[in-house]
Amino acid sequence: MEREEVKKRIAEKFGDRVKIDQPSEKRVYIYAEKESWLDLATFLFNDLDARFDTGVGIDDRGGVEVLMFFPYDKEHYFVTIKTYAEKPYPELDSISNVIPGAKWIEREIFEMFEVRFKGHPDLRPVLRSDTRPEDFYPQKRENKDDHEMSRIKNDGIDRYNEVTGKPPEGQNP
Amino acid sequence: MVKKIPIGPFHPILEEPEFFELHVDGERVVDIDMTIGWSHRGIELLSEHKTWDQVPFLVERVCGICSCSHPYAYVKAVEDLLQIEVPERAQYIRAIVAELERLHSHLLWTGLAGHFIGYNTVFMWTWKYREPVLDILEAVTGNRNHYAMMRIGGVRREIPVEEIPNIRKMLDDLVEKNKMLTGAIVDDPVIHARTEGVGILDKKMCRLYGALGPTARAGGYNIDARRDHPIDAYGKIDFDVIVCENGDVYDKAVVRQLENFESIKIIRQALDKLEALGPGDICTEIGEVPPGEGIGVYEAPRGEVLHYIRSNGGNMPMRHKIRAPSFNNILTNEYSVVGDTVADAGLITAAVDPCYSCTERVGRIDRNSGERWIMSEGDLIRMSQEKTEEIRKMMTGK
Repeated sequence: MEREEVKKRIAEKFGDRVKIDQPSEKRVYIYAEKESWLDLATFLFNDLDARFDTGVGIDDRGGVEVLMFFPYDKEHYFVTIKTYAEKPYPELDSISNVIPGAKWIEREIFEMFEVRFKGHPDLRPVLRSDTRPEDFYPQKRENKDDHEMSRIKNDGIDRYNEVTGKPPEGQNP
Repeated sequence: MVKKIPIGPFHPILEEPEFFELHVDGERVVDIDMTIGWSHRGIELLSEHKTWDQVPFLVERVCGICSCSHPYAYVKAVEDLLQIEVPERAQYIRAIVAELERLHSHLLWTGLAGHFIGYNTVFMWTWKYREPVLDILEAVTGNRNHYAMMRIGGVRREIPVEEIPNIRKMLDDLVEKNKMLTGAIVDDPVIHARTEGVGILDKKMCRLYGALGPTARAGGYNIDARRDHPIDAYGKIDFDVIVCENGDVYDKAVVRQLENFESIKIIRQALDKLEALGPGDICTEIGEVPPGEGIGVYEAPRGEVLHYIRSNGGNMPMRHKIRAPSFNNILTNEYSVVGDTVADAGLITAAVDPCYSCTERVGRIDRNSGERWIMSEGDLIRMSQEKTEEIRKMMTGK
């Protein structure tokens, strides 16, 4: 489906609830509030015949921005839908009941950013290691900000100074 | 009675660890639970601590086999943000390295697939034919894998003029060998019996599960990022996208075999262009990376790989998302394995090319009694040989 047609039909159906932006010929961005997020994804996938590709989460301290990519292959462009889930309890409707291919990426975004997808059939972490504490979400800004680089290797020597460029203590540089 | 068969996560012949828990009722698989992330290295996070130019070295270590595709998608994402075009010469060099990679990856898979079904002749042949491709890659880039060719704005190294005849000769040899190999696969009754109608993933399911690459094209879902989102030289090169209909393991093998011919076609055209262009720039200088976001897609051997980057104007990506094709493709097992037999499950999961086989060590646990027993490698080889013999008798009537 042509780019202009897709933009027109989305504007007709969603009106003010979405904002459409087109930074280049090959990219269309649609911003939706989280209430209309599921409807928008469903409309794109079922009615406008887009292919589902994948999703991304981006933490900006106030909340988590979630993006999903819907490429149009024949017409050579990408539609990206965006929404925003505010902290402290980021929560979104799950699109994986409409698009089963989104199951794992939603699990990943939950695992990394603690975005809870309402209605997801099985919201377990997908990449987790067994030793990770249950309430630790690695990609959250808070965790990144607090994280102090630890460079203690097997020999027990802390190599933090080597990484930061300071000469190691007690040794000739 | 439903039993669970755990397969994985670590396995001597695996490219990557995965864990499959098959729920079986007799011979049939009734449900499957997959766990990935056994070697999660946090590359996305690491990449956010590297400068723009360092990231290609990091992302080519995402996968040892696709070590050109990931940097390619990444540099395209940054170039999408910068809105720059790379010099024409660099575009063709990129295409040549990327297609050589596809050749060696597809040959690797064909060999492994042969090994999985107990057909080790195919395994030996293909890996022998794969060697010259790796030799050429070594001559061109300095390495058999991890080529470090991609750079934002172009490529890092020139293809030496004296290498071009060698590449052509290797391609000529490979066409003959690939024809022979394709014939051997298409004509073989055992391969037909073992793979036809097994693990079917049709077009509708491909779309629902977001299947990519040969997995999708085997099921008639006609997508190929090289044609659909043409980058660099691919818009100027003539090639066909191979599409089959049935979506079974056999079609997946055929798609990969025929794609080898297309890759050879692309490399030949790119070499012609390279010779016609003569010496020139291979890299554009880029300045500061402004705030913004970019998407880069490239058709890796296993399917479309997507890199998303966001910049806040600094010297490192603020967010770098990597989506490898197997992330989508492995999920399709949820549909394609269920309903088939246990013996086929390993083959089906391997057919999406995470190169996973369950056929070396299988532990079985009876859920009700808690009894467990482990089959040895020897047991499994014997079982597989018996089954092959059975099929051969069935097909030939002897």
